[in-house]
Amino acid sequence: MIEINNLVKRYGDKTAVNNISFTVNDDEVLGFLGPNGAGKTTTMNIITGYISSSSGTVKVNGHDILEEPELAKKEIGYLPENPPLYYDMTVREYLGFICDLKAVPKEKRKNQLDRIISLVKISDVTDRLIGNLSKGYKQRVGIAQAMVGDPSILILDEPTVGLDPNQIIEIRKLIKSLAKSHSIIISSHILPEIQEIADRVVIINHGKIAAVDTLTDLSRRLSGQSKLLMTFKGPVKECSSKIRTLPGVSSSVPRVSDSKINQLEIGISAENTSEVRASIFFMMANEGWPILELRSMDPTLEEIFLSITSGKRRV
Amino acid sequence: MYAIFKREFLSYFRSPVGYVAIAIFSFLSGFIFYSQFSTGAVNIGSEVISLRSFFVIIVPIITMGLLAEDKKRGTDILYYTTPVSLFNVVIGKMLASFALYAIMFINVIIHIIVTLNCGGVFGVGEMGTIIVFFFMAFMFISIGLFASAITDSQIVSAIVSFIMILITQLISYIADYIGTAIYSLSTSIGMKTDSAVNFKNAVRNAVAWFDPFSKTQDFRLGVFSVSALFFLVSVGILFLYLTFRVLEKKRWSQA
Repeated sequence: MIEINNLVKRYGDKTAVNNISFTVNDDEVLGFLGPNGAGKTTTMNIITGYISSSSGTVKVNGHDILEEPELAKKEIGYLPENPPLYYDMTVREYLGFICDLKAVPKEKRKNQLDRIISLVKISDVTDRLIGNLSKGYKQRVGIAQAMVGDPSILILDEPTVGLDPNQIIEIRKLIKSLAKSHSIIISSHILPEIQEIADRVVIINHGKIAAVDTLTDLSRRLSGQSKLLMTFKGPVKECSSKIRTLPGVSSSVPRVSDSKINQLEIGISAENTSEVRASIFFMMANEGWPILELRSMDPTLEEIFLSITSGKRRV
Repeated sequence: MYAIFKREFLSYFRSPVGYVAIAIFSFLSGFIFYSQFSTGAVNIGSEVISLRSFFVIIVPIITMGLLAEDKKRGTDILYYTTPVSLFNVVIGKMLASFALYAIMFINVIIHIIVTLNCGGVFGVGEMGTIIVFFFMAFMFISIGLFASAITDSQIVSAIVSFIMILITQLISYIADYIGTAIYSLSTSIGMKTDSAVNFKNAVRNAVAWFDPFSKTQDFRLGVFSVSALFFLVSVGILFLYLTFRVLEKKRWSQA
């Protein structure tokens, strides 16, 4: 469990992190989002003790990172944006070195390394030089490095950046499997990834927290009401006004229309959208206007992200 | 500390650096010994003293990457985010370079064995030069380590430590130059000749006080001076401390 209280980091007169507070619970995956320069990496660096904060406290399982750094750092495994790898060492030598740094007892070392190596699937490269590995393998060695010493908390700074789609899926699976027994903070620009892995998200912008919530609550709060996008053949204006009269529909706005295909954005105020969708279908069928596509427009994380960080909406 | 030491020491032999340093040292010591041996006048003391002049080349080679490479690769983050202390990192790195020096010194030990077997002399004066050699190695390695801490470029680090070690080696000449400059400056502003000479001598002696070579020159005669060794150790510790401060400062200042 990590408690972050009123964290501030200033560089001269520039405030990189401005009064951030949040908590990471045990065995929870926290997504950490924000545009470039929002202060994500700075915050992560402060949590791990790499840099110091100007004010505010970070407590890792009850240990303050500045007052009891050794106890706090034992609880944390950190994968920075650039994995800290020595290219002139083999994977096994490197992980042995990390064991030395983290003071893993000799008798536990072999078991622990074997477990980590099979978990992150690098057993076939353990005797190769890290410098000769592909980016995906390097990233995995980086994750392995973070897991050495059995920390209860993993902090991963953009773990999938620069990987190909297959590798991304594998790393994502790996993180999901780790989530069962670790608290994880993960930052990423790949928003669907956060959507898939994280239990909660923290969105920061210009060093301030823009939102902290679970994904479902966040999208509900942001959207206010759900929306449908309907593509159909038929007259736009007539259709739009007819739909507006249906119960549960709050708005109906034409989106794209050309001679063949029209689109309507339909706002729904009712709790349950399926009733409304059914009534739309029957109405359209009655009128003889074929529906080509009808889909719900729950805001993706991307939209949430954009709308929050561009300052249009405040949560 | 042992973890850092082991990694750094072994990394000398994962790259050409360790081999190059050992090759240079072996060639130089072998050449000096050979020249002495061929004239039949072997003196281990003067061999070791001559080898001291090559700190200026070998130390920058073996210390340039110690911290600069970590910073460039981003691996220094490990020292800050794992329970290891920065102080141990500095000591471990220094010891790795020192151990490499000890390995190079095996050459001289072989020469001593050959000398003794051929009926040569190895007395307390020679022992003294060897003691000075290792204390100086400690001092210069600390200077090199500091040069490596202040930059993330190995080349810059090598040049800085080269210049710093060169200055300590030329300090008696530098003292003379500064003395002469002071003298002409003070006469030109109207100081009397004898007080200008006194002033010049005072300044020259003050600068020359820092010369580690003149401080330790009596060791080869078998006259050991604890204060000279204390001076070498103090300078070494000072630079280790500065290195430690530079590393620690990064935590507070980096962007």
